[in-house]
Amino acid sequence: MTCPPREALGEYLDGKKESEEDQSKSYKQKEESRLKLAKLLLCGTELVTNIQVAADIREIHRRVEEEEIKRQRLEKLENEVKTSQDKFDEITVKWEEGKQRRIPQELWEMLNAQQVHCAGLIEDKNKLISELQQELKMKDDQYVKDLKKQSDDICLLLERMEEQVKNVMKTFRQELQNIEKAFEVERQELLTSNKKKWERALQAHNAKELEYLMNRIKKVEDYEKQLNKQRIWDCEEYNTIKIKLEQDVQILEQQLQQMKATYQLNQEKLEYNFQVLKKRDEESTVIKSQQKRKINRLHDVLNNLRSKYNKQVKQFQEENQSLTSDYKRLVLQFKELQKAMRHFALIDDKRFREIWLMNEEEAKDLINRAFDVDRIISTHHLGLPWMAPDFWFLKNVGPISQQQQKSATQILEEVLMEAEKEGADEDSSESETYLDLPKQVSARTTRKILMLLCDESGFLIESKLLSLLLPLEKNECYLLRLDAVFSALGIENEDDLYKLVNFFLKYQTHHSPSSQEPLDLRAEKERSLVDGKSQEKEPPPSPKLIHPNDVLKILEAFVMSLRKPRDFWVPVKLLKAVRDDSKDSEYWEALTTVIPATTLNLWDALYTALEKYHLVLTQRAELLIENSSLERQNTELQQLLQQYLDTKINSELQVPPTQVFRVPTK
Amino acid sequence: MQDTQTTESPSIPSRSSTSTQDRSSTVGQTLSSAPQPSKPTPIIPPLAKSTGPGSGSGVRRMRRIIAEDAEWSLAIVPLLTELCIQHIVKNFQNNPILKQLLPEHQKKVLNHLSPDLPLAVTANLIDDESYWRRCCTQRWPVCHVDNHGGSWKRMFFELHLENLLKHFIPNTTDPAVILNLLPLCRNYVRAIRVDQFLPPVQLPAPPRGGDQSDSGSEGEMEEPAMDHYQLDNLVAGLSHLEELDLVYGVKDCGMNFEWNLFLFTYRDCHSLAATVKACHTLKIFRLTRSKVDDDKARILIRSLLDHPALEELDLSHNLIGDRGARAAAKLLSHSRLRVLNLANNQVRAPGAHSLAHALGHNSNLISLNLRLNCIEDEGGQALAHALHTNKCLTTLHLGGNELSEPTATLLSQVLTINTTLTSINLSCNHIGLDGGKQLLEGMSDNKTLLEFDLRLSDIAQESEYLIGQALCANREAARQRALNPSHFMSPVTVKGPENPAG
Repeated sequence: MTCPPREALGEYLDGKKESEEDQSKSYKQKEESRLKLAKLLLCGTELVTNIQVAADIREIHRRVEEEEIKRQRLEKLENEVKTSQDKFDEITVKWEEGKQRRIPQELWEMLNAQQVHCAGLIEDKNKLISELQQELKMKDDQYVKDLKKQSDDICLLLERMEEQVKNVMKTFRQELQNIEKAFEVERQELLTSNKKKWERALQAHNAKELEYLMNRIKKVEDYEKQLNKQRIWDCEEYNTIKIKLEQDVQILEQQLQQMKATYQLNQEKLEYNFQVLKKRDEESTVIKSQQKRKINRLHDVLNNLRSKYNKQVKQFQEENQSLTSDYKRLVLQFKELQKAMRHFALIDDKRFREIWLMNEEEAKDLINRAFDVDRIISTHHLGLPWMAPDFWFLKNVGPISQQQQKSATQILEEVLMEAEKEGADEDSSESETYLDLPKQVSARTTRKILMLLCDESGFLIESKLLSLLLPLEKNECYLLRLDAVFSALGIENEDDLYKLVNFFLKYQTHHSPSSQEPLDLRAEKERSLVDGKSQEKEPPPSPKLIHPNDVLKILEAFVMSLRKPRDFWVPVKLLKAVRDDSKDSEYWEALTTVIPATTLNLWDALYTALEKYHLVLTQRAELLIENSSLERQNTELQQLLQQYLDTKINSELQVPPTQVFRVPTK
Repeated sequence: MQDTQTTESPSIPSRSSTSTQDRSSTVGQTLSSAPQPSKPTPIIPPLAKSTGPGSGSGVRRMRRIIAEDAEWSLAIVPLLTELCIQHIVKNFQNNPILKQLLPEHQKKVLNHLSPDLPLAVTANLIDDESYWRRCCTQRWPVCHVDNHGGSWKRMFFELHLENLLKHFIPNTTDPAVILNLLPLCRNYVRAIRVDQFLPPVQLPAPPRGGDQSDSGSEGEMEEPAMDHYQLDNLVAGLSHLEELDLVYGVKDCGMNFEWNLFLFTYRDCHSLAATVKACHTLKIFRLTRSKVDDDKARILIRSLLDHPALEELDLSHNLIGDRGARAAAKLLSHSRLRVLNLANNQVRAPGAHSLAHALGHNSNLISLNLRLNCIEDEGGQALAHALHTNKCLTTLHLGGNELSEPTATLLSQVLTINTTLTSINLSCNHIGLDGGKQLLEGMSDNKTLLEFDLRLSDIAQESEYLIGQALCANREAARQRALNPSHFMSPVTVKGPENPAG
């Protein structure tokens, strides 16, 4: 199958070559025509322009001749002028001569001669004029001839142009025909060659077709033979298989007979069994009915009981509801009562504190005044150095109080509230909140530990409680959960709680002391600023470092350690609200005895001495007053004297008293 | 006029539905099958009113089906648009409606318009070439539209203007005749070609004044004013004028010949110079066969110095001598002139010298024509020297200049060097046999020259023939170059051996 295209390709290439040759033929024809036409055009235009060129050269020749003639004419005229001038001069000279002639005959002769001369001159001139006129006429003729010639030229030009156009058109047409013919011939050749090629290709194709057909027929015959062979073989095989299968059928029939015999035997056996079973079935139905009856009876009983139960349930529910409402009311009342109590306690506390402060202030005022007085006395009057007495009670402000024990839950509440507050207003209120926490652990760490605890020990809380907690808000939820956890762990009061927290921290330090050093330092510094009482050097690590998985282990350890000292803590709980006022009286007593008895005695002695001193001073004051009045009198007298001295009478006097005595100037 | 008013509205049926009458009539004409029973009765009254006296035929026209006429069919009823178009054509002079019509209707109207319509109506309204073609062919038997840029409208206006100018008689014809045409043709006329200017009619009336001196006359002082039409107003009005081709002379004077008829006066010259100077769009200026002498040529050329657009100057068949040639040489270096024609003048060697000097430094001039002058060998040699340095000139015509062998020697040297010249004409000179041989030598090295006219110049036939062969080869090479500029070398070498053999 690959042969035909290749052949076609070859043919195509051949055709291309041939066509190229043809192309060159037509191209040659075109080129020939083009050259011919170009030549024709060139020659034609040359032929046409020849007339112009001829006219040009004629014009040039004419110009040259004209110039020559002009020059000759000018020369001639000049000569003429010269000769005529000579003649004229001659004549004029002769006129002079004539004047001298006396003889009339001579004069006549001379005049005649003169006349002849003049006539000759005029004749010459006339001849010249006629000559020139002749020339002009000739020129006119020439002009007319030129005009004719030019018109002839133009006619010729037109003729030639027309001829040229005709020629060109004819030749163009002819060349066009030639070219067309060439193309036609080329096309014919191309057509014939292509036809030949086509025929050749067709023949080749036919031969191929025939060949294929023969091949096909041969193949068909082959296949037919093969088919026949196959059929015969298949027949034989079929027969053998048939025989074999028939034998098989016989064997199977025998087996079937055997199987039938065994089947009969089995059928009989089974029939017997069936009878037996029927009997049994009847018995069982009887039993079944009995049982059914029994079941019905029991069902009735069950229904009765169920109704009774329902009734009871309802009753109890009602009861329960009333009781819960009662309970709720009581709880509310209790809460209100508690609130009031708390309120009153707070007010009492406040009032007590105010009164205390007032009294204390008053007392301290008094004390301060006494101290001032004492200081003044000792420094001013006695010249002794005074030392301010230093007593502990002077620095005390407010009622003397003892830290009271709080329950674990209260602490929890506080802690949570504080932590929340802290979260709200950052660390600004930190120092204040610490005052409420006696231990070194910050509220935040505590809170975090507690949260961790809460999250990790959910198993300690009852499932019912958990479901109840769901709707509550987060903080409250935590509180209740922690409460449950603590009750499960047995933590009851504040100390227990702090113990727990410390336990956690300690545990953490034991297990990973190296990793938390830098954090510890900072935390400790903070803590020492807040409360100087920190006894434990144990650095409380950041709760972040406690792994949630460790929480259970810690808790276990804690519960084990807590179990022993538990009993001691029970009675403490009752005392927590009672205020300790044993020190109050002592305090107030101390306040009264701020000034010791020795100073009092000193003051008494000083008082008597000072009174005496006062007496002396009063006497002196009286004397001073007297002295001053005398001085005033003296000055008044002096003024009066001066007045007299300054009066005019002095000048009138012969002996003024001013000269007599010296005026005391002062 | 009333009729035109009524037909005006239906002329645009597609755009506006005017009255019930038109609408129903158009419907009736276009939709023959759809009968409208209610319409015909209200149609008739307005129809009768509009058509007036000829209402009978109108009624007949308006009826959609005419039972009594067996041959009647809707096909023979002219469409309303057709009628409107006819009406527009009929009344076009009074009420030209064209731009508002649809293109197809415009075409119809234009096909039916008469070419005799006044120009005031058609000039600025109609741009259709076929209409102007009809106008031209009706007026002039021979029309070469190629001479007018292929535009019939332009051709019409140019020929019309030329006609008016040709027959304008100063002091007799009303100048308004031409000036009235100005606003109509100002956008279309690009060339003015006038080959005759009529002088004023000789009247016994006294001459207008002695202020202008007529040098062209025989010197008689009482010569009446022979000034021709002044072009300045006209040219100033034509904004697209590019070509000005003038001949101051009279054609077909026959036996009435007088020298006075061929006078190009100084006044004419001055006014023409001013006109040409003011026309900044002018590209071609021709003033031939007008007896322009040196002084007039100088006046004209002075006004052309530094002209912004001028490309061709033709002063052939005049009386220009050396001074005029010197002025032209100056113009060459002060303008962008591309073609200069001084054929058939009286330029001699000094003028040729100055022209050659200008040519040596010029880079604009393409064609120089000095046919039928008398520059002789001296001038020819100068020009040949100038061609050594010039790289622009392609055509040089020196026919009929009395040149001889020395010029040919120099020119043959030029031929070996120069690669721009394509055409040289040395016909009608006395080159001589030796000069011909030298030119042949020069030609053998030249590959660019395409035309070399040496007819009637006393050259041996053999050398003329060989030069012709060389030119043939050059032409073939140029043709090959034009056909395929990339590889033109091979055909040249192929064709090369043919030339000496042939």
